[in-house]
Amino acid sequence: MDFNFFSLLNVFTITFLIFNTFLFLKSFIKFGRAFKVLSCYLFFVSLIQLATIFVAKILHKPNLFLSHFYFISQFIILSIFYRILLKNKFILYLLLPIFGVLTYQYIDDPDIFFRYHAIGISITQSILIVYAIVYLYRCLQGENLFLIVNVGLFLYLVSSTLIFASGNLIFNLNISDSMNFLLINTNRILYFLFQILIFIEWRKNYYKKIPKS
Amino acid sequence: MEKELLQEDSQIIVIILIAILVLLLMAVALVLFFFFSRKKIIATELEKATLELSYQKDLLHSTIETQEEERKRIAQDLHDAISAKLNVVSLSTNVLIDGKLEKNEQAHTLQHILSVTTRTLESSRRLAHNLLPPILENFGLQAAIEELCDEFISSKKVKINYEIKYKDLLSKSNELHIFRIIQELLNNSVRHGEAENIRLKINETNEQLDLEYSDDGKGFDIKSVNKNKGIGLRNIESRVEILDGKLSYHSEIGNGATFNISTKKPQP
Repeated sequence: MDFNFFSLLNVFTITFLIFNTFLFLKSFIKFGRAFKVLSCYLFFVSLIQLATIFVAKILHKPNLFLSHFYFISQFIILSIFYRILLKNKFILYLLLPIFGVLTYQYIDDPDIFFRYHAIGISITQSILIVYAIVYLYRCLQGENLFLIVNVGLFLYLVSSTLIFASGNLIFNLNISDSMNFLLINTNRILYFLFQILIFIEWRKNYYKKIPKS
Repeated sequence: MEKELLQEDSQIIVIILIAILVLLLMAVALVLFFFFSRKKIIATELEKATLELSYQKDLLHSTIETQEEERKRIAQDLHDAISAKLNVVSLSTNVLIDGKLEKNEQAHTLQHILSVTTRTLESSRRLAHNLLPPILENFGLQAAIEELCDEFISSKKVKINYEIKYKDLLSKSNELHIFRIIQELLNNSVRHGEAENIRLKINETNEQLDLEYSDDGKGFDIKSVNKNKGIGLRNIESRVEILDGKLSYHSEIGNGATFNISTKKPQP
């Protein structure tokens, strides 16, 4: 019963994500650069989610290698997103070397592809968390562009970093599936909350709103 | 499930879950802290804006009030000094036109008309002069202030010790503001303060103009003045504001008043 509920939640969350992506892409042209970048982010994440389902359920093969595409594309697109929100060139200067180091790691040891890349995930997500906090601080003076999405990203990134980083450890542990799913389900709940916040942002600020010039 | 939770390996999962929960709680606390701070900051800023707005409104009111007061004064002056006298001229001329007067009476009436006209002319000149002293336009601020002080001195009511060093730091319109401020200060000292001695010092440096003014009049209570400023003081304040200068004043009842004004050279 427990398992059924969470797999239902998972299906619902992915549908919700695709629905959000659709909402954002629908008004893609109408709004500013940050909106466009966020739409791209949602689009990429949706593609990766669909790909994970496709690889696991239809091809019946391990889909872990897709997690690398997830966190690297997340890092690149959200860095551009915060570059626009924070108006700071430093973000781009940081993006390039980190992307370079990660690429080097994959070339140096291609086996990483079939494990969780705990360090890569932790570093990229931590940097994004720092951007989110800096943006929260900027918003103190009344700016509220993507404030809700920022809060959602912050909460999700903070909690999911530990879940992803512990991925390898859990695989090596001698534990049952139900224990394993405890962490995965926590992630599902958090991701569902994140999607709700993205939807609220859209409903509040971009539903039937005159586009900003 | 409970048994599983107690297994050694499962303990790690529990620890990770607890760590996630703690992190999440801290993150939520941070977000809440952020929202409350934001609310407070916005409220403070709103309050500041409202205060500024009310100050601007106050300034506008006092400007309009001053304008009205000035109009009233000019109307009064025109009525007293010119209309009334021209009336006399008109009456006397009518009497002359009637031609019922004897020759010496005619000469007397004409003499009277002449003297009234001369006085009216003098009054109208003085009125115009008070509105905008020609000396300010023709000979500059220093000469105008000196003449103003000399006028007050010649009225024998007050002694003014002045020391003015001024060249051409300010624009013409700003010079007029300085002149008006001094006029207002002198009027206040004589009319309300009943001062006997006044000291005025104006000093121009490369960058700014400093004005020091003090009298030995009745003085006023700073606290009550702050609550309810008279038109004169508000007038001075708004002029200093236009000059983008700084005004400070000090006074005690029975101990005269001191005013310090400094204004910077306008940036080109």
